[in-house]
Amino acid sequence: MIFNTPIFFWFFCIFILFYGFAFLKQTPKVYLLLVSSLIFYGGWNYSFIPLLVGSGIADYFIAQAIDNSSSQGNKKRWLTLSLLLNLGILATFKYADFAIASVADLFSVLGYQASFSTLSWVLPVGISFYTFQSMSYTIDVYRGDMKPRKGLVEFVAALSFFPQLVAGPILRAKHILPQMHAISMPKWLEAKHGFLLITVGLIKKTGADILAIPADKAFTAQESLSTLEMWTGVLAFSGQIYGDFSGYTDMAIGLAILLGFNIPLNFRVPYFAISPVDFWRRWHISLSSWLKDYLYISLGGNRNNNRTRNVFLTMLLGGLWHGAAWTFVAWGAFHGAIITLTHYLANLQIFSSFNRSNTLAVSLVKWAVTFYLILIGWVFFRAIDINSAITIIGNLHTFGSASQLGTNAWSIFILTSVWILLMHVMDYFVIKSADKLEKKNWQFWLLIILGQALCLLIGEPSNEFIYFQF
Amino acid sequence: MSLSTSNFNEMKSAEMNEAMSLGEQAPTEQVSAEQITSSTTAQAEDRRVFIKITLAIVLGMMAAMGLVRLLLDANGANKQGILGRVLQAQAAIPQIIAEPNDLVMFYGSSMTRAGFSPRKFDGDLKAMGKDISSFNFGFGGLNPYYQDLLSRRIAEQFIEQDRKLKLALIEFNPFQTTSTRWNRAKFSLDSFITMLSNDAELWQILQEDLSRGIHLFNIKYIRNHVSAEMVTSYYSRELFPPQRGQRFKDDEETVTVRRSLGKELNAAFEKDYPNYSGEEWYYPWQGAGTIPEERSAETLAIFDNYYAASQTEARMKNDRLSRIRSADIEELHFEPFLVESFIGIVKNFQRFSDKVEVVMLPKNSRYIDYTPEAKIRLAKAIKQIEQATGIKIKDHQDIKEVNADMYRDTTHLSRYRGDIAYTDFLVSEYAQAL
Repeated sequence: MIFNTPIFFWFFCIFILFYGFAFLKQTPKVYLLLVSSLIFYGGWNYSFIPLLVGSGIADYFIAQAIDNSSSQGNKKRWLTLSLLLNLGILATFKYADFAIASVADLFSVLGYQASFSTLSWVLPVGISFYTFQSMSYTIDVYRGDMKPRKGLVEFVAALSFFPQLVAGPILRAKHILPQMHAISMPKWLEAKHGFLLITVGLIKKTGADILAIPADKAFTAQESLSTLEMWTGVLAFSGQIYGDFSGYTDMAIGLAILLGFNIPLNFRVPYFAISPVDFWRRWHISLSSWLKDYLYISLGGNRNNNRTRNVFLTMLLGGLWHGAAWTFVAWGAFHGAIITLTHYLANLQIFSSFNRSNTLAVSLVKWAVTFYLILIGWVFFRAIDINSAITIIGNLHTFGSASQLGTNAWSIFILTSVWILLMHVMDYFVIKSADKLEKKNWQFWLLIILGQALCLLIGEPSNEFIYFQF
Repeated sequence: MSLSTSNFNEMKSAEMNEAMSLGEQAPTEQVSAEQITSSTTAQAEDRRVFIKITLAIVLGMMAAMGLVRLLLDANGANKQGILGRVLQAQAAIPQIIAEPNDLVMFYGSSMTRAGFSPRKFDGDLKAMGKDISSFNFGFGGLNPYYQDLLSRRIAEQFIEQDRKLKLALIEFNPFQTTSTRWNRAKFSLDSFITMLSNDAELWQILQEDLSRGIHLFNIKYIRNHVSAEMVTSYYSRELFPPQRGQRFKDDEETVTVRRSLGKELNAAFEKDYPNYSGEEWYYPWQGAGTIPEERSAETLAIFDNYYAASQTEARMKNDRLSRIRSADIEELHFEPFLVESFIGIVKNFQRFSDKVEVVMLPKNSRYIDYTPEAKIRLAKAIKQIEQATGIKIKDHQDIKEVNADMYRDTTHLSRYRGDIAYTDFLVSEYAQAL
C-alpha cells in the first residue's frame, strides 16, 4: 500500500472514520492504530508481520529487563541481546546474500572456484527503519535516557505506526511513545498543515517519477549520451531521490498530523548545503542523527583523536544501511572521505578566512563545490556497480564527447534544474511560512485541490518509493 | 498562532512533554462536574475537527478528480478518443449479428485492417452465388492480450444471441507478439484493461491483487478509463521523443511531390465521400476502407503517383529500422504471455464460429528478413499455438499473389493494390468452404 495509490486513499478514508468517530477513547484508538498499521504493512507481505511484531515484543521486554537489572553487567548483556536480535534480523534478511556473494567473489579473485548458494529471501519492507527504531529504545533505556514504558500494545503500535513504518523518518522511542500514550487530536489549523504537507509530498513524488526518465537513461544508456545529458541524468537522479524520499516523509508527517501525532522533519532544503557536514544536517535527518547518537558517539565521537576514523566508519555503515551492495558502501565511504577532508581543510591556516566568510560569493563557491560532490556521490548510489560508477564519473568529465546532443537536451537540463530548485522553494516555504497560507481559506484549498489534481493527472502510482527497498 | 512546520513541532513538543509528565499513573481522584463538561467539550471539538478532516478528504478529492476529468475531456482523452475504432466495432456487433447472410469476420492487427477488403470479398463471392457478409476487425495498437479481452466481449454477444460466424479468420501477427512490443505497450495496459474487460474480470483481478484491482476500478469509474500512466506517457513523449529511425532521407523533390499528392488525395476523398463523418470503423464499409470501384480514374492515377513517391527506398528502410526497434520484427523474441493470449483469442472464436482459420498475413520480405534464430522461435510459437488450438496455421507471408510493390511500408499492404490482391487470394482459398 503506497500513499499515492487509490487503495491507500480508501484505506485511509475508512480508517479516519473509525479513528475520528468510533474509537474515541485512548485505548481503543491505540488498538485501532495497531491493527490498521498491521493491515497496512500486510499489504506488502503478511508473512513478515510476525517479524515486525516479534522484534517489538522482544525489545519491549528486554528494555524492562535492562531497567530491572541491578548490575551494569546484566544491563549490558540484555542490551547485547537486543542488538544481536535486531542486527541479526537485518543481517539475515538484508545482508546475508550480499556477504555470501562477496565471499564467492573473493574466492574467485583468489583463483578458487567454489559454489555458494544464496538465501534469496524477500527483503521485508521497512526492515531497516523499524529495527533501528526498536534498537534506539533499548539503547536509550540502557543509557538511562528514558525509563521503559508500560504498555506493550502502545509500544508495538508506536513501532508499527503506519505513516512512517516503511520509509521513516526513524522515530525515537522517547519521541513517539509519549504521544502514543496520550493521543491528542489535531486542531483544525494543524490538520490544514497536514493536508499541505501531504499535497507537497505528492507533488514532489510526482515530479520524482518524471525525473526518473532522464535519470534512468543516464544510468542505463550512458555510452550513447553527451556530457550534458549525463550531467542532466545525474542531476535528475539527485532530484528524483530527493523528491521521492522527502515527498514520502512529507506525506508521512502530514498523515501523522491528521492523526494527532508529531513527527520531526527529515529534510531541510538539503541541496542548499554549503559543506558535506551541512548536507548531513539537512538530509535524512532522522538517520544521520541516529547514526550520530548511537554509532558515532558510541565509537568515541570527537574524542581520543579518533574523529577521522569514527566519521569514516559511521558514514561507511550509513552507506551500508541503505543497501546490501558495494555501491552503497562506496557512497558511504565517499561521504566519509569528503567530510574528513572538509574537517582537515577547515583546520588549515590558508582556508581559515575562507571558511569563516559568509559573503554571498564565498557561500556560492562553497555551495557549488558541495553540490558537485553530492552529485558525484549519487553516481555511486545509483550505478549498478562500482565499475559502472567510475565509468559514469569519467564520462561526466569528458568534454567534447563524440555523442550528439539528444532532442531537447538543454530544455531537459533546464527543466530538471528548475524543478529541483522549486522543490527546495516549496520546502523552505513549508518550513518558514506555511501558516500564512493556512490562514487563508480559499487560497489554501484552491492550491491544495490544484496540487492534488496535478498529481492525480500525471502521477504514476505503479512507481514504488526508492527508499522502500532500504 | 504560527503553524509552519518548525512551529508546529515546537507546539506539539510542549503537549508531548505534558503527556510524558503524566507518566503511566492513571488519575484516581474523583472527577468533578467541571472536568466532565470540559472533557465533553473537548470531545465535541475533536469530533468537529474530524468532520472537517473527513469532508476535506472527500470533497477535496472529488474536486481534484473533477478537475482531472474536465482536463482529460477537454483534451479528448477518453475511451472514445483512445480506442475509437474498437468501440465503434463493438457497437456494431448487434447489427452484424442481425445480418441475414452468413457471416465472416477477419480479426487481427493493423495489417488485417490494411490488408482485407470485406466489400471486395463479398462482391466476389456474390458473383459466385454466395451471400456472405464479411467484416474487417483489424485494430492497430492492440496486442494479443488486448485482442483476447476484446474477443471475449465479441463472443459474449454472439453466444447470447445464439449466432455463429460461418468463418472466422484470425491473424497471427508475430510482430505483435514480441517482448519488445509488450514492453512498449505497458503504459496503456491499465487503461486498455479497463476499456476491454468487464466488471467480472476486474473483480477477479481485485480478488487476486487487491491493490491492483482497486487501481483498475478507480481508472474505470473515476478516471473515465484514462490512467495517469497514459497521461504521463503522452507528456513525456513530447519532452523525451522516442528515437526515430530517420537515417535515410528522400530528396527534397520527392518529399515535395509526396506532400502535394497527399493533399490532392485528401481533397479527392472529401469530394467523393461528403457524408463520411470520420468514423474509424464505418459500418457501410464493413470496417475497412474505400474500394477502387468507387473511385474515379483520375483519383486512382493520383494513387499510383502517390505510391511511387512514398514507397521509396529511404522510407522503407527507415520503416524497417523503426519496426525493429518497436516490435523486434527480425529477431522475434516472443513474449510467452502474448502467445498464450493469442491461443485465448482462437479459443474464444471457436466458441461461436463454424470454422476458425489462423493465418499469417503477407509481409514485405524485400525488407523484412527473419534471422535463423527468429525462424526457430517462430516455428516454436506456431507449434505451441497449433497444439493448443488444434488448428493448422496458414502461412500467407510470402504468397506469390502479393509482390513487394503492393506494400505501403514494410508490413502493411497498400490500398487498392495489396488489399485487393490479398482479398482475391482469400476468396480463392475460402470460397469453397463458404
